[in-house]
Amino acid sequence: MSNKNEINLENKIMGRVISGEVKMKPRLYFILGSIMSFVGLVGLITGSVFFTNLTLFLIRKQGPGTGRLLLMLDSFPLWVPFLAVLLVILGSMVLKKYDFSYKRNFPVLVLTLLIAVLLSAKIIDSLGLNEIWSRRGPMKRFYTSDQQEVLGKQGPRYNRY
Amino acid sequence: MDDYKNKTDEEIVELISKGNKDLYAEIIRRYQTRLMRYAQYLVDDYAKASDAVQESFIKAYINLNGFNTKKKFSSWIYRIVHNEVINIIDKHKKSIVFDESIDFDSGINVEDSYMKEELAAHTHECLDSMDLKYREPLSLYYLEDKSYEEIGDILRLPIGTVATRINRAKAIMRKICQTKTR
Repeated sequence: MSNKNEINLENKIMGRVISGEVKMKPRLYFILGSIMSFVGLVGLITGSVFFTNLTLFLIRKQGPGTGRLLLMLDSFPLWVPFLAVLLVILGSMVLKKYDFSYKRNFPVLVLTLLIAVLLSAKIIDSLGLNEIWSRRGPMKRFYTSDQQEVLGKQGPRYNRY
Repeated sequence: MDDYKNKTDEEIVELISKGNKDLYAEIIRRYQTRLMRYAQYLVDDYAKASDAVQESFIKAYINLNGFNTKKKFSSWIYRIVHNEVINIIDKHKKSIVFDESIDFDSGINVEDSYMKEELAAHTHECLDSMDLKYREPLSLYYLEDKSYEEIGDILRLPIGTVATRINRAKAIMRKICQTKTR
């Protein structure tokens, strides 16, 4: 490439930069993008851990069954995962391709997240936190409504046989 | 402007972000030849390569505040050119698919220095016949002197994959160059 072409390219770009035709996006734009992605991801992970944990707890307490899952979905605040997914999508759109944060192997990342979610849910269940949450605190309603509805329809397990 | 000659790219980017936009000319001067060469390896068309590089400099400037100055600016700007070139290739549907099932046993032991000479001498005729997937890491490694880690940053690939692609590209290169130069 000749020097003349190089100077032309430099002049063309700098002309647009100096005239203000091309403007830098403010730092706040990227900060917002990072915050949205982070909050969305945290929400998504927390929601997944809680949902998986609740499923494991109910299966352990009342045995497997798809009807139970539907009852649980009725009382689950579905706007949380929707909002989380929306935030992750918005954050990714804002940050787009000009960030190094998501350059690594995507399938490995998803697999790691899935394992982390399942493990966390299992740990929460094993630590007995479900028993505490089902008796008191803001999460009691998820446990009690599910159990009451399930028990109401099927009766206590010991009476079924 | 001469005071900035000794500054690193990342230091200059910080000054530009603080409002000294004239300094962007220094960034353009540092990178335009390299980026033009890189883009031309990939599209083999001066006008398209020039468009890709110009658009990349503009996009880099617009998103300069999103660049983390603790990272390498060079990898970042190469990444943007990579994206632009991919867009252009998609737009023009100019993709040459190389048959990977061909037997690459040329019987020649190609050393790195030889590979570099061979690549430089027959750059376009050899690279053009190669799939972009191999052409890109090969040109970055041998012609742009990038490390595996930098190539991983630019192409967003794990280092192991970069190494595998370069090794396969070498074998493909051997075969193509042999055929072309005969």
